[in-house]
Amino acid sequence: MNTPRPLPLTRRGFLGSLSGGLGGIALTSLLQREALASGPPMFAPKAKRVIQLFMNGGASQCDLFDYKPQLIARHGQKFDPGAGQRVEASISIPGNVMKSPFEWARHGQCGRWVSSALPHLARHVDDMAFLMAMQSSSNVHGPASYLQTSGFSLPGFPCAGAWVSHALGSMADNVPAFVVLPDARGLPYNGQSAFTSGFLSANHQGTVISGSAPQPITHLRPPADAPGITPASRSEGLDLLRDLNTEHAACRHGDSQLTARIASYELAARLQLAAPELLDISQETVATQNLYGLDQTETADFGRRCLLARRMIERGVRFVQVWSGHGGGANNWDNHTDIARELGDAALRMDRPAAGLLMDLKARGLLDDTLLVWTTEFGRMPFSQGGVGRDHNGGTFVSWFAGAGVKPGTAHGESDEWSWKAREGITTNHDFHATLLHLLGIDHEKLTLRHNGIDRRLTDVHGHVIREVLV
Amino acid sequence: MKPAAQHAGIRAAVLVFVAAAGFSKLGAAETPEPSGQPRHQGPEVSAESPPAPWWSLALLVRPAVPGTGEENPIDAFVREKLAANHLEPSPEADRRTLIRRLSYDLTGLPLTPEEMAAFIEDDDPQAYEKLVDRLLASPRHGEHWARHWLDVASYADTHGNDHDFIRPHAWPWRDWVIRAFNEDKPYARFVQEQVAGDALFPDDPQATVALGFLAAGPWDHTLMVTVREDTVDHRMAQNLDRDAMVTATMGTFQSLTVQCARCHNHKFDPVSQREYYALQAVFAGVDRADRPFDENPSIHVSRRHLLAEQKKLKQPDEAFLTRLESLEITRKVTAWEEAWKQREKAWQPLSAVSVVSTGGATLTRQEDGSWLAGGTRPDRDTYILTARRPAGKLGALRLEAMADDRLPQRGPGRWDNGNFHLSEFRAYAAAPSAGESAKPLPIARATADHNEGPGISAAQAVDGREETQWGVHPRYGEPHQAVFELKEPAEFPEDTLFTIVMDFRSGAPGHGLGRFRISAGSEAATPMPTALDEVLRLPADKRSPAQRRELALTVLREENRRALEALPPPQMVYAVASDFPPDGENFKPAPEPRPIHLLARGELSRPGDLIGPAALGCIPGMPADLGITDAGDESARRAALALWLTDSRNGLTWRSIVNRVWHWHFGRGLCDTPNDFGKMGGTPSNTALLDWLAVWFRDDAKGSLKALHRLIVTSHAWRQSSLAWQGAETDADNRLLWRQNRNRLSAEAVRDTLLMLGRQLDLTVGGPAAVQFNAKGDATFNPGGNPPFVDYEHFNPDASEARRRAVYRFLFRTVPDPLMAALDSPDGGSVAAVRGVSTTAVQAFALMNNPFVIRWSGHIASRVTAATAATPEDQVEAAFKLILLRQPTDAERTAFAGYLQRHGAANACQLLINSNEFLHLD
Repeated sequence: MNTPRPLPLTRRGFLGSLSGGLGGIALTSLLQREALASGPPMFAPKAKRVIQLFMNGGASQCDLFDYKPQLIARHGQKFDPGAGQRVEASISIPGNVMKSPFEWARHGQCGRWVSSALPHLARHVDDMAFLMAMQSSSNVHGPASYLQTSGFSLPGFPCAGAWVSHALGSMADNVPAFVVLPDARGLPYNGQSAFTSGFLSANHQGTVISGSAPQPITHLRPPADAPGITPASRSEGLDLLRDLNTEHAACRHGDSQLTARIASYELAARLQLAAPELLDISQETVATQNLYGLDQTETADFGRRCLLARRMIERGVRFVQVWSGHGGGANNWDNHTDIARELGDAALRMDRPAAGLLMDLKARGLLDDTLLVWTTEFGRMPFSQGGVGRDHNGGTFVSWFAGAGVKPGTAHGESDEWSWKAREGITTNHDFHATLLHLLGIDHEKLTLRHNGIDRRLTDVHGHVIREVLV
Repeated sequence: MKPAAQHAGIRAAVLVFVAAAGFSKLGAAETPEPSGQPRHQGPEVSAESPPAPWWSLALLVRPAVPGTGEENPIDAFVREKLAANHLEPSPEADRRTLIRRLSYDLTGLPLTPEEMAAFIEDDDPQAYEKLVDRLLASPRHGEHWARHWLDVASYADTHGNDHDFIRPHAWPWRDWVIRAFNEDKPYARFVQEQVAGDALFPDDPQATVALGFLAAGPWDHTLMVTVREDTVDHRMAQNLDRDAMVTATMGTFQSLTVQCARCHNHKFDPVSQREYYALQAVFAGVDRADRPFDENPSIHVSRRHLLAEQKKLKQPDEAFLTRLESLEITRKVTAWEEAWKQREKAWQPLSAVSVVSTGGATLTRQEDGSWLAGGTRPDRDTYILTARRPAGKLGALRLEAMADDRLPQRGPGRWDNGNFHLSEFRAYAAAPSAGESAKPLPIARATADHNEGPGISAAQAVDGREETQWGVHPRYGEPHQAVFELKEPAEFPEDTLFTIVMDFRSGAPGHGLGRFRISAGSEAATPMPTALDEVLRLPADKRSPAQRRELALTVLREENRRALEALPPPQMVYAVASDFPPDGENFKPAPEPRPIHLLARGELSRPGDLIGPAALGCIPGMPADLGITDAGDESARRAALALWLTDSRNGLTWRSIVNRVWHWHFGRGLCDTPNDFGKMGGTPSNTALLDWLAVWFRDDAKGSLKALHRLIVTSHAWRQSSLAWQGAETDADNRLLWRQNRNRLSAEAVRDTLLMLGRQLDLTVGGPAAVQFNAKGDATFNPGGNPPFVDYEHFNPDASEARRRAVYRFLFRTVPDPLMAALDSPDGGSVAAVRGVSTTAVQAFALMNNPFVIRWSGHIASRVTAATAATPEDQVEAAFKLILLRQPTDAERTAFAGYLQRHGAANACQLLINSNEFLHLD
């Protein structure tokens, strides 16, 4: 018995429809290319692409960037912010005021305070714009990380990278728009939900690249022990499959789903071809590799991923997210037990590579149209937990921007005298995202998708662009 | 969920474009809709006449069926709409297409080529209907349809969120859904059990399992368990947990987005913020927790009665107290007292040979055989007591912690407040004359008259962990006792030397025992509360009424406890519960429903009125009042809501389910937003049909889902071909059904089919989730352990766990299986009332390179090649028949035979599995 074919189209006619009609639309939308927008963005974008460095666990603002003489003066005393304010810690009983175990100094022309935990980044404060009074409505990793990745405290919402992919797509037809480089030691809090496309199309999910793994991208290649799979079996097979699918689609006129699937195999083939070169950091000079800290055990993992991030944006990736630290109780910025030891280690691993990335982007002129973002889900308490650690603090934390459209050497906002709560220029997760989208030429209130009856945005119903840090 | 995959990018592009063209105020109305349907932007209120009710909130009445009444009513309604739009239905699909579609639709699996051939050749005019009945009766049907329901409930086997700990007892609810669909549980009962099965059907254990529905979605373990109870974060998490239950209940059964009214009145639908919080109040008494049930209904009933009695005995009311004076209970007490006296006689203080404090405290023997601690008070201490006793049976040891004026706060501990922390209690026995060395006497159970809390009880003194302990805060200055039952009671000869070791080393300094005595008994006895000890030493006629009551309650409590212990251990289901063991300091059950306040802007800092439980007022003929009289009875609230939901007058319930079922049969609902029948949702393409189905399902089919399936799949609308295109001009989206939709196989159907074609699909029904990944490193997946390290890549595709149906997979919320995710299986992060259908490079990679797909392509290939000394052409023929259920064309036969010769049958089979023809249902 044969498949009935009531409406045969000629093969040529069908292929024509691939490049023009419905099939053409499906193909374009599948690739999510820059050309898709074909008109200008909402306003002239300053940044074409983003590299986001995410400190998983809650990087301590008062041990890195937020210098408060009060903590040194009152070290060891009971923490009393006065005026009967309730002091609440997330998982512990508030301890005494605790000064940073690191030394503080002013840096650069702008005179920013940076602690001795970040000697390399400290040299570049004149390139950065600091958000000194960021605030999170949650003190807990799960919801706070969701807030800083997706703008909502609950799972199920697309993260910023997915929204950007949805709005702008990739800049090339052989790389994904949104790439995620998790810590080699594991996924961050919330696992893969941290880079989910939520209710957007699955195309916009962050493509996870494990730089050091034998299989850096899931399913990029067949397992090494798969018998009988050769380059010839694959290339001949893909031709045969395309013929089979084309024949099948020819008598199912106007089904864009079928033509989009045909195109998806072609995109996959291009991605597969591009991947080895993309990931081959041996093409970089030794000097460049060392700039990123590849010559040092502690900095090699984060450094390799920062270097990969640069290679990706050079090749058209729109949004790269690089994680420092993984989920769980150690090897991240969640330093409950011992700030000097735990944060010292996390900072050591991140500092030199991040500074190297910034220098390299600048030297290559990439910083002119690339936004570099350093952030975390919340800060830490000015008082101790168990003597020398610190508990979570959504009240205030620090992020910084550098590069395209960013006013260098500036700072916006200020925390109170303790670095306990943001006081002036309070910047929410939504403000942060609104600013990020703005730099990409997108009005955060207009980038929407209707889901379950609601027009959803990255910024929910909030968000103001922080113009103080823009050129 | 990924709706509108193809349109999203276009829509974004249009947005960008329109903005650039200078339209400063860009409203959503000016953007094209993904579904191509007009949508209402808000209530359209006319000043003159009252607006017609919104379609979903209109009174549900049965529309007249158009036409002559001879055809399936579905077709009468569909044909009428088509005719009005100058369209015609397509002819019926050919038999091969039709039954491939049917088999996948009803069971998620294909027929075998042999079954296919038999059906095609069957000239019985009822062959199709008989096949429908056979497929509906197959256990595979419930498995397949349960997966739809799990999508709506956001089911997974982990909590999700930051640490994503596992939920080992989630699966009994998944099995309940499968069984409910296979047994065709009437829909009203199906709803009632999932909202309030424990209250409405208390004697049916499965009705308790059904409550897993309310707990199926993500849950923030960190916020609920780790974060301190008094923080804003924790209280907000409780609020959002109730919000999740309200959202799940009202979204699933009513297709309403009431959660939009958490911060303000619903902007589009007639749901006020007050009504929203009234719904929160319905769930104000429950949390998510493991809940016991017994598969055996009679044990279930016994346990239920015993647990109810236990609760009564904890907080007896007046009526109960009066009953204590009854003859029956008085007799029981007398008998118990006699037995107690016998046991009490049996307690003999150990005569100590020596007592030492390793910390250097002085231990002085008192006249009554007890020991008093004095002198230095070390931070950590251990008492070692060596003793003998007359020959005889030893079943238990009793430790009396005694009050004494010479101790701080009269003791019984040495700490300033009178407390002690007994971290470990160990006993050893040796017969030195026989040359024996001391052997430990394992303790089976430790109980005390009073414990500081569930985590600071006598049980912690025998858990082998030094950091946990028994303490008696805040009841100082009175005696307490703990009884340690031996695991193996035994006779010991007279010369046996017993050694008792008591550690006070759990952390808090100076927490040694102040005065104590250790006695030995032949059998265990309940440690007597202090007050009761005094009562028992009084002659019966000297006891006050209050003392008699206390004694009777104690007797009944012990009887209750022993009866409960005699039952086999219960099974557990992760569900909602109002009573469960607390998990640490922060996560405990509410003794009575928590007070619910209306929160201005949804903020805890702005509480408004106290709100009682109620339902919605927007459904015609349905009062919002739930008529709840006992405000303290948590389950009465849920029971009342369950009955409200399933009231025959509640049109939303019946419209919602028939639309969902329609969506799962056609790939698109009559209303294309199955979880939103509000003004921001879609409007039905055929309201009369939807209403007729709702009434028919409620009244004629009596809520039988199988009857509804049968009606739909025997309709011409469902059986028609998907190949036509003549309606593309008028109705490109095929909303009016001038042809059948072409749907892609689900991730689960693809996986199950590969196993079936490889002849290894394990058809075991139910049970714990099949773990289809390797746990990396030292991952424990439990609270306190490490974060999930889940490795799908190296999991053996041939492992027995790999061969279970996909509905039984262990679902890791934040680390989904990459093959299944690429094929749009939802991750349980949010409700997936409609599954996305993506066409991504990631999906192409998965189907080409996933180890499971490659391995099973190989197994399927070996079936193709094993047949005979077949030629490549024969093998191609066999592969096409097996995978695509058809013969290859001549051109295909030639092309594939060449490929197969050069690269093997496994590669050829994998190509067919990657084909659009295999992955889609015409």
